Amino acid sequence: MKNMSIKMMAGAVALCFAAGSVWAAKVPAGTQLHAKQELVRNNGSEPETLDPAVAESVGANNLTRDLFEGLTATDSVGKVVPGVAESWKQVDPTTWVFKLRKNAKWSNGDNVVAGDFVYGMQRFVDPKTASPYASTYGIFIANGQEIVDGKKAPSELGVKAIDQYTLEIKTPYPVGFMPDLMSNLNLGPIHKATVEKFGKEWTKPGNMVSNGAFVLKDWQVNNKVVLEKNPQYWDKANVQLTKVTYLPIEDGNADVKLYQSGENDWVYQLPPGTFDKFKTELPKEIKNGTMLGLRYYSYNNTDPLLKDVRVRKALSMVIDRDILGQKITADGQAPAYSVIVKGVAGADAGVYDWSTWPMDKRVAEAKKLMAAAGVQPGTKIKFSYNNSEYHKKMAVFVASEWRTKLGVEMDMEAMEFKALLKKRHDGEFQIARNGWVADYNDATTFLTLVQCGSDQNDNKNCNKKADELILKGNQSLNPAERKKLFTQAAAMIMQDYPMIPLLQYTLPRLVKPYVGGYSTMNPMDRFRSKDLYIIKH
Amino acid sequence: MWSYTLRRILSAIPTLWVAVTVCYVLVRITPGGPFDGERKLSAAVLANLQAKYHLDWPWYKQYFSYLNNLLHGDLGASFRFADWSVNDLVANALPVSLTIGGISILLALLLGVSAGIVAALRQNSWVDYLLMFKISVGSTVPSFVIGPILILFFAIWWTMLPAGGWNDFGAKYMVLPIALLTIINMATTGRVMRGSLIEVLNSNFIRTARAKGLSTRTIVLRHALKPALIPVASAIGPMAISSITAAVVTEHVFSLPGLGKLITTAASNRDYTLILGLVVLVTVLAVLVNLLVDLLYAWLDPRIRY
Repeated sequence: MKNMSIKMMAGAVALCFAAGSVWAAKVPAGTQLHAKQELVRNNGSEPETLDPAVAESVGANNLTRDLFEGLTATDSVGKVVPGVAESWKQVDPTTWVFKLRKNAKWSNGDNVVAGDFVYGMQRFVDPKTASPYASTYGIFIANGQEIVDGKKAPSELGVKAIDQYTLEIKTPYPVGFMPDLMSNLNLGPIHKATVEKFGKEWTKPGNMVSNGAFVLKDWQVNNKVVLEKNPQYWDKANVQLTKVTYLPIEDGNADVKLYQSGENDWVYQLPPGTFDKFKTELPKEIKNGTMLGLRYYSYNNTDPLLKDVRVRKALSMVIDRDILGQKITADGQAPAYSVIVKGVAGADAGVYDWSTWPMDKRVAEAKKLMAAAGVQPGTKIKFSYNNSEYHKKMAVFVASEWRTKLGVEMDMEAMEFKALLKKRHDGEFQIARNGWVADYNDATTFLTLVQCGSDQNDNKNCNKKADELILKGNQSLNPAERKKLFTQAAAMIMQDYPMIPLLQYTLPRLVKPYVGGYSTMNPMDRFRSKDLYIIKH
Repeated sequence: MWSYTLRRILSAIPTLWVAVTVCYVLVRITPGGPFDGERKLSAAVLANLQAKYHLDWPWYKQYFSYLNNLLHGDLGASFRFADWSVNDLVANALPVSLTIGGISILLALLLGVSAGIVAALRQNSWVDYLLMFKISVGSTVPSFVIGPILILFFAIWWTMLPAGGWNDFGAKYMVLPIALLTIINMATTGRVMRGSLIEVLNSNFIRTARAKGLSTRTIVLRHALKPALIPVASAIGPMAISSITAAVVTEHVFSLPGLGKLITTAASNRDYTLILGLVVLVTVLAVLVNLLVDLLYAWLDPRIRY
């Protein structure tokens, strides 16, 4: 059975490889390219760093994805494709072997070798690096968590260069999605000599040595980051763009104005309430893809009122997610009824049986539950959210649902984002606005939101039986069985109503029609500029 | 004069210390820290980050270490922008804000004073009403309204100028932000100049000058202008300081990489060192601007001696 599973995985890997070769930076036949292959895209915020080991935000990772290349990568539709590694294999349940291509080079001409990955990963989990993601990904490599905790030395990390072009990674338990995980640049290679030579300054233009399709040309904080095509890149023949300028515009309105005046080809995300307008005005430029992200409200499961599952269930039941998605947020988001979102690998998104009931029936049932729990109409519940028109609109709608359908009053408490995060993490709330975007395409990234004792579990719920299923799933070598166990566990947890899943994220944005290679089928919203090109216009 | 200047600079030191200390306490007691994110960090990762930025030290050690570094001109490492020191960030943003703010204040003075003079000389005429109406638009309509209107006209409809951004001091990128700040600042100088000049023109020494048969031009330029400018000079200090706060909106609207943008980024990220660094900078600028204004007083009114 074990061998068969490994063979199945190897087959899947081969398929991925084949798929990857089809998708890698190919311009469709007949497409006429523009003479000037330069793209300006808004990145949503100023990157906190260009050091891939420390990068945390979406914006920083967008940049490191262009500047560096990991063992694998994801293409414009989110499929895992070869990066520096040409092939990979799970040789035993807890060992992966990656074969590196011999023509991969650093921007200074040095060869990219297995030792660069060993150094990169050891540096990533080293407490001295203090990477915010160290334990998120560190747990998937043998001794990773122990090193982050300071209990073992970075040299004890389960990653080894078998030879210059063969890398072995040991995992603490079977990690079937390792190829997907390795597309994250936190786990990518680092040019040791450059870091040692320049120290903290190694990420500055002129100092940085990178191995991606682009090199760093200019970085002006809060203004722009300019990348240029890397002449040393192994696949340079398939890289069309010669220059990519990333803007750090946070304000959606300013972003759109730059787009309308022709200074920006790619709006990061449309301001709330503008999706319908642009859908009508610029139908060829509006893009909206579903993302692996969940909008939800966290219950404080330790709160005296919300400890009762009947109250949690009743509050969840009466929210009309269809109206919320279609009329309130109005940007194409689909209703969500589970912690697992649609499209994520490794588990199926479940739904509550009542989700198909007519609202009258749901309200009647919810009222019964509230009465049985002894909750009187007029009861007040404090709802904490961060200052944002978007979240306020959602909160006002939900408050109205609870007031009109159950007689429950919502005491809305708006605050700054950082203040909300602190309250949420400290458990000082009754119900709080929450959200999660997948770190990697596997169900486990979402399950961390509801697992016992998880750092990400703001709800403070715990279902030990479900946790056992997750543990069992993590140990499983059979992808189908693993998926079944995770799906069962998620369904079991959701019957406890630890949180209120509301909507699955979408990414409404404007992209100029001449930007080729853009896809709305990229669920992680991870685009490499390598896959993009400018069509003649 | 030199001893006065030196005394003013020395007296700024306790002001700076109080500003830094009060801000230091405020940022530390504000809920939410620099490492609070959607993804809660594990205890070990948080401890590693705190150790990296010395947040695991006792508060007094952190505070005195900060002051010691400050005395050596080191504003510390940014908590948010891991690759940059606060000195770097401020040094990058300051020229942008100084350029935009400085040019707009000069223009506002020039245009505001001129408009104020014309309005005062044509008091209660249609010219006066028209100028004061235009000026009052600048003072009453918020900059976050005027800014997008400018963008709509000049960048989107007529595509004459960029909607925002900053291209290495490229002139066309500066036009709209400078125009916005000028409109705001001009309102103050224009109103103050008009009122002040009307008051001076009604004073006894001007009446005497008129009785002597001097022309209006001579009266205004030689006798009335200097004393009438004293209240305008008083307004320069607050105007210069408020230009920094106005820059928060202006830089936001036009996506400029100046101090205003940095202030909002620092505050929302709880970037302690960056917030403190900007407080130090703004305090120093305030002291300098007020000193310059005081020296200007002495030039405008020889009776003022220090």
